[in-house]
Amino acid sequence: MVVKQETKSMTGNDAASYAALFAKPEVIAAYPITPQTTIVENLSRFVDEGKLEAEFIIVESEHSALAACMGAAWSGVRTFTATSSQGLLYMSENVFWTGYGRLPIIMPVVNRCLAPGWNIWPDFQDSMAFRDAGWIQMYTKNNQEVFDTTLQAFKISESKDIALPSMPCLDGFVISHTTGQVDLPDPEDAFEFIGPYDDPIIELDVENPWAYGSMTGPDQYSKNRRDLMVAMERAKKKIVDVHKEFEERFGRSYGNGLVEPYGDDEADLTLVTLGTIGDEAHEAIDRLKVEGHSVNALRVRTFRPFPVEDIVEFAKKNHKLVVIDRAASFGHEGPLRIEVEAVLKRHNVDTSVSGKIMGLGGEDVPYSAIIDLAKKELKE
Amino acid sequence: MIEIIQISRGGSGGVTGAKILAEAAMYEGLDAQAIPKYGSERRGAAVEAYVRFNNAPIRIHSPVYDPNHAMILDISLLDRIDISRVDQDGVIVINSKEVPEELKGTGRKVAYVDATGISQELGLVLSGFTLVNMTMLGAFVKGTELISFENLEKAIRNYWGEKRAPKNVEAAKRAYEETKVVRA
Repeated sequence: MVVKQETKSMTGNDAASYAALFAKPEVIAAYPITPQTTIVENLSRFVDEGKLEAEFIIVESEHSALAACMGAAWSGVRTFTATSSQGLLYMSENVFWTGYGRLPIIMPVVNRCLAPGWNIWPDFQDSMAFRDAGWIQMYTKNNQEVFDTTLQAFKISESKDIALPSMPCLDGFVISHTTGQVDLPDPEDAFEFIGPYDDPIIELDVENPWAYGSMTGPDQYSKNRRDLMVAMERAKKKIVDVHKEFEERFGRSYGNGLVEPYGDDEADLTLVTLGTIGDEAHEAIDRLKVEGHSVNALRVRTFRPFPVEDIVEFAKKNHKLVVIDRAASFGHEGPLRIEVEAVLKRHNVDTSVSGKIMGLGGEDVPYSAIIDLAKKELKE
Repeated sequence: MIEIIQISRGGSGGVTGAKILAEAAMYEGLDAQAIPKYGSERRGAAVEAYVRFNNAPIRIHSPVYDPNHAMILDISLLDRIDISRVDQDGVIVINSKEVPEELKGTGRKVAYVDATGISQELGLVLSGFTLVNMTMLGAFVKGTELISFENLEKAIRNYWGEKRAPKNVEAAKRAYEETKVVRA
């Protein structure tokens, strides 16, 4: 049965901080950076007002923020932080350490492009740089999905059979600072959904001392990395299961949790997207339909683990994919396009793939630009 | 879908105003969105914000380019809005004692009020900036008739809390009563 919820007006960053509040993390360590700052400002206020009983650690840098979270995660408590752009880059050593160390830290990344030039607006270059850091990455399309995904992330990451950190990604400003409607459950219902973190994946115990980060020879090291690969594969099913359980309790869903299809099963053209461009594409598709064009979409919600099977299935039924990337792999193509093409080739799907990089550094991607792109692709 | 463009000077509360307007629309049963345009949000600089209302979920995330209505919180910013892009049947809501010269004879629907005067009388001044945001929301509600004053008041009270709400509600109420709506 779907629980009672109340519609509230709030920004995307507010939505992320409410999900964290309801999850009751015991340790939060963070350093401010635009456009993430208001997430941790909210949490600091919640702690100050006594709404959240957490250790809020004020640190001198993002590197230290994640280091403090790592220590907390090793001690076996629920841990939360958030960052953006240069801040994410500055903590990079620890981002990999967290992923490869299998610490279930939840860290929303409010996507902002990378300098130079100095720019605070969104693209996905920051989180894409950490594609291989061993984190679950989920890209959201609106404020509601930020709340839902952040809440789900705790349940996915803290599962003993997964033990991976999560990076819910939200477009800077376009989601983070935009006010919209969010259906909020009662805090108790939200907490009950993820449950307490009382049987931790790892827990420092002075009675039973272990060494962490010690010298690891090739045999054990390669085994650890293979374990991580397998855990990522398992995470696909976990994401689907948690998403389904979430839908049953809260009445909202985003495709199967890995990908969100939109429109007819089969169309002349398929738009493959990430983030808010996915939402904007839905608007474009409805308008194209009125003009007699057959276009559908597949929004990749989960980028890591990569939903290979879902993409293959959808591509098989369709004729032409155009992948819209909001980041670039310089010297190659957009990262989403590269992966979609590789997956189709490997699975012998001959659906053609093209791509376009749009929206870098906050460049606006209105539905009209998506319509123009679709019309051009339909002609070719 | 109703789309609104608002222009103000950094420090006068425009971004907060847009947020409260979106909340008031939500109480009206609409899906609503408020987008602040960040980048040059320094005190005194021109700041744009965009608001959308819809009776279905809003899937558009872009700024507003062709608004139904325009809100101008500082008359010196009137030339920063391309009025020709505002819907012909839309309302231009402006902080002014009279219909601005530039709009006279255009046939545009103009809702005007001396928001600066009202806010100053109520002491809504912070660091030398007159806070005209709530005042102008009263004018907007009167001029466009899209949202009831009751729902605007509810959103203002919710945002400002018990202590700070009364003055802000008073500012909106006075503007609601004093706004004149004319064909320029």
